[in-house]
Amino acid sequence: MNARHVGPAHGAHEGAHARRIRGADAPASRITLTAVGALLGVLAVGQLNAQAGAPALAGRSAAELSQLIGNLTAGNDQLRAEVTDLDAQRAHLEDAHSRGETTVDELAADLARIRAWVGLTSVSGQGIAVIVRGPIGGDAVEDLVNELRNAGAEAIAVDGVRIVPGVVVAGAPGALSVENNAVGDTFEIRAIGSPQILTGTLNRTGGVIAEIGAAYPGAQLTVTPVERLTLPATDRTLVPAHGQPRI
Amino acid sequence: MSTILARVRRLPTVQVTLSLALVVLGFLIAAQVAGEKPRSQYSTQERAPLIQSALDLQTRQEALKAQIVDLRRRIGELEAQDPGAAESLRQLYADLEEARLAAGLIGITGPGLAFRLEDGNPGAGVDAVVSARDVRVLVQELWLAGAEAISVNGERISTTSAVIDVGGSILVNSAYLAPPYEIKAVGPADLYDRLRTSVAFVDFVQGRIDRAGISLTVAVLDAVDLPAFAGTVNLRYAAPEASPQ
Repeated sequence: MNARHVGPAHGAHEGAHARRIRGADAPASRITLTAVGALLGVLAVGQLNAQAGAPALAGRSAAELSQLIGNLTAGNDQLRAEVTDLDAQRAHLEDAHSRGETTVDELAADLARIRAWVGLTSVSGQGIAVIVRGPIGGDAVEDLVNELRNAGAEAIAVDGVRIVPGVVVAGAPGALSVENNAVGDTFEIRAIGSPQILTGTLNRTGGVIAEIGAAYPGAQLTVTPVERLTLPATDRTLVPAHGQPRI
Repeated sequence: MSTILARVRRLPTVQVTLSLALVVLGFLIAAQVAGEKPRSQYSTQERAPLIQSALDLQTRQEALKAQIVDLRRRIGELEAQDPGAAESLRQLYADLEEARLAAGLIGITGPGLAFRLEDGNPGAGVDAVVSARDVRVLVQELWLAGAEAISVNGERISTTSAVIDVGGSILVNSAYLAPPYEIKAVGPADLYDRLRTSVAFVDFVQGRIDRAGISLTVAVLDAVDLPAFAGTVNLRYAAPEASPQ
């Protein structure tokens, strides 16, 4: 742009002026270019970071993040308790080994606990009973079972069938089944756990029962705390037939 | 045209470079501003420590789970080394190992499927974000087709596993999972054939996946590795019944 003012008629002085303009512009341009380049770099990195973090937590609101933190904290508390128990078990076993003792009682207790947890033995305890009256789809029952698990249910049975990995309540309203057994329009879901937490979770405003009520207006669900429930063991074989333990 | 080219040729290289750089800069600033728009409704100052807390808790959770898996492995080794291993005791070991396998406390490998669920592009009136319900439906269909073990993004599905939406994210076994979601299943060799003949699975693909533009891909594999369940197996309210099953 300035070069247009530099014509050959101005002779040597103008040549010097031209050099000055170009010479003065060159460092300025370099500085500008460097600054722009640096800004470009910062923005490009920022954009890449934004892209990488976007699917994770970046787009969550403060309320959503607080909810997530609450869940993670509760989960970590449970895991810490499990670590403490397992560590005590390990220490006891090591102690017994060092004294040359057998640990039959420990093994039997561990076996009973795992079998009860997974559903291979019947269990009893306090909890809730949900009576379902009216036609309802398998999806709604599965949503309810999922919500019970989320609320800390330790064992669940639908119409007398223990819910374990692989067991799904499926079918359209009026044609429900679980483990190849037909489920009528009136049936009971039983869950062992804290009656207060289970009841509160299911009955909360906008909770799973409200959602089911909206999706299946013909169905009525009643939640009742129960002092003592007994849930049966599963009939399923839970040991994998196709999968092998990883070494 | 030739006049323009001639003018361009006369421009100093620095000016051309600077102009190009400024154009790119403009694009990047526009992209940055556009990217900030959906988040501008939230206070950045408020969210930053929350995000950090969530990330810290998640890291802590992963460490705790690794500790649990390691402790269980160590306990299994100690039990197997019991010096007084009489026949009755060996049977007890075998039963314990079988119970752990049944409960998903041991990682397994076997033939199966690997699904990948990814959000679609948001469209008018269509929820293209993969929800916990989408994951649950796929898991349920896999169970019904005969899967014998399933994991979601490395979280083994156990008898107590809930899959829930929390704050636009999915939690499985209390672990925060980000998309894409990889659902792996071990089962019979014809697991996929069984799955795709399920009316409910076809309805799910046509009614939800295709309609919302969600991406669902599947690989049929000779060997799928599933991790062990790393959560708690302690019972606080339920007690085993006295009579053996």
